[in-house]
Amino acid sequence: MSLLRALHAELLKLKRTLAFRVIFVLPFLVATLQFFIAWRTKKFPADFNIWDSLPLSSMQVWAVFMLPLLITLETALLNGIEHSDRQWKHLFALPVPRYSVYFAKVIVAQALILISTFILAALIVLVGIAAISLRPELANAGPVPYGWIVKHATFVWLASWLIIAIHTWVSVRWSGFPIPLGTGIAGTFFALFAASAAIGKYYPWLLPMNIFLEGRGTAALVLGVAGGIVAVLIGCFEFVRRDVLN
Amino acid sequence: MGECLIETRGLTRRFGARVAVNDLNLSVPAAGVYGFLGPNGAGKTTAIRMLLGLIRPNAGEVRLFGAKVAGNRASLMRRVGALVESPSLYPHLTGRENLEVTRRLLGAPRNLIELALDTVRLTQDANRRVREYSLGMRQRLGLALALLNKPELLILDEPTNGLDPAGIHEMRDLIRRLPDEFGVTVFLSSHLLSEVEQIAGHIGIIHEGKLLFQGPLAELQTRQQTQLIVGVKQLDAASECLVNAGWTIARTIDGMISVLAKTPDDAARVTRLLVDQQIDVFHIAQAQPSLEDIFLTLATRTSRITDHVVAAGASR
Repeated sequence: MSLLRALHAELLKLKRTLAFRVIFVLPFLVATLQFFIAWRTKKFPADFNIWDSLPLSSMQVWAVFMLPLLITLETALLNGIEHSDRQWKHLFALPVPRYSVYFAKVIVAQALILISTFILAALIVLVGIAAISLRPELANAGPVPYGWIVKHATFVWLASWLIIAIHTWVSVRWSGFPIPLGTGIAGTFFALFAASAAIGKYYPWLLPMNIFLEGRGTAALVLGVAGGIVAVLIGCFEFVRRDVLN
Repeated sequence: MGECLIETRGLTRRFGARVAVNDLNLSVPAAGVYGFLGPNGAGKTTAIRMLLGLIRPNAGEVRLFGAKVAGNRASLMRRVGALVESPSLYPHLTGRENLEVTRRLLGAPRNLIELALDTVRLTQDANRRVREYSLGMRQRLGLALALLNKPELLILDEPTNGLDPAGIHEMRDLIRRLPDEFGVTVFLSSHLLSEVEQIAGHIGIIHEGKLLFQGPLAELQTRQQTQLIVGVKQLDAASECLVNAGWTIARTIDGMISVLAKTPDDAARVTRLLVDQQIDVFHIAQAQPSLEDIFLTLATRTSRITDHVVAAGASR
């Protein structure tokens, strides 16, 4: 019950915030990039099918780059609201269990990432349809692969739970952008090196991308979800016991 | 003695080697305003944070409404409202929306928002974003947040900090009304004696983490020696004359001598003594002791904490 109340309060806090706008902006950037690629490509191979290429490349760009960036921004913005006017002391002085506040923060971050990922999914469909109408040579692409898009959007989101959990704790623990942003940049940067290594299978910032790699998909899902839950519980344990000095 | 809403026993908190609060034994009676007085850095905010469960003590316990806070925090905090230092507000939301956020967290009825706004006289500005509020309005909104749950105990930490004189007056007026109109007991911390003595019936004085005095304000006032501020031209001669006659000189400031007095007649005695010695007196006035004077007096004279409010705490 207290968790539902905390979630209800979190929704109101989102009003007029950048945290709410960002979930539309980043998918739009990916979709715009894909649209221009489809529109400006001079010649497509004879056997080219836009529904084989567009959803996969869009989701991969999302998984490896935009999604970690979105998670970094969202969690920093969501928790920055509480740091900005030293809200934690007010929240913790209320008769509300601290774990409710923490879980509400995680759930709202997860929900915003999910919405953003499905906005991208919808935009992928729109971009594909627009590209087909602009380029007659793509007309034989067949039906829109809604099932594939929904399934992979969901899997990418589930695999991102561990990153969301890590970033939620970091942005709750430290105020301001430098440390959360530094964590996000470092995590994404080292992902470039980890991708080809064996450790890449378990590296948190690569898990959403691993959904698309042969032999890594199941591990990415299990580690993303289970690791995310464990990381949330550990973060919550620290959060509940913390002294509020500011 | 009546019921104690706040009781602490041996409450201690250290930050590294520094002891911020040292063996604090508070007893705050129900009803009225309790002034928690101390200079900046005395340990007031740390003590308040422990009362609210924001930080954990190294030793001792806190009881609210007779029950231990440890293990009962959520249920006890339903009866408490708090404003710790500057109010914590969401500047991108309106005043009403800020209250709505807290109302949702508390699961309180919607009508309490209008009641709280009306109490702090913010109804007219409730739909403006908080970033447009003046400091005084922010402070009143902070008070409205603390009042939202119709608390029985209101804990206010330096609520007039940073306000202009009009804002201070308005806030003080508001706090003074609360016990009578809403039946709330107010625990008010401040570093200003002048502020507290206008509204508080009981006070506790904390200095360097230790409670130096606790009891009715009148009790403190009777224990404090009045000071006579004497203006003379021959400062050295006057000082010597007074000391030789057995008077205690607290200090000499800007050509004025501050003499400790015991009775109202002392002003006449001092004047007569100086005039008899051919020392011209051009100014004499009684002065209330400053908070600094009180701290110095209590710190030197009191080696143990005196508790004049509630005997019940001692027998527990």
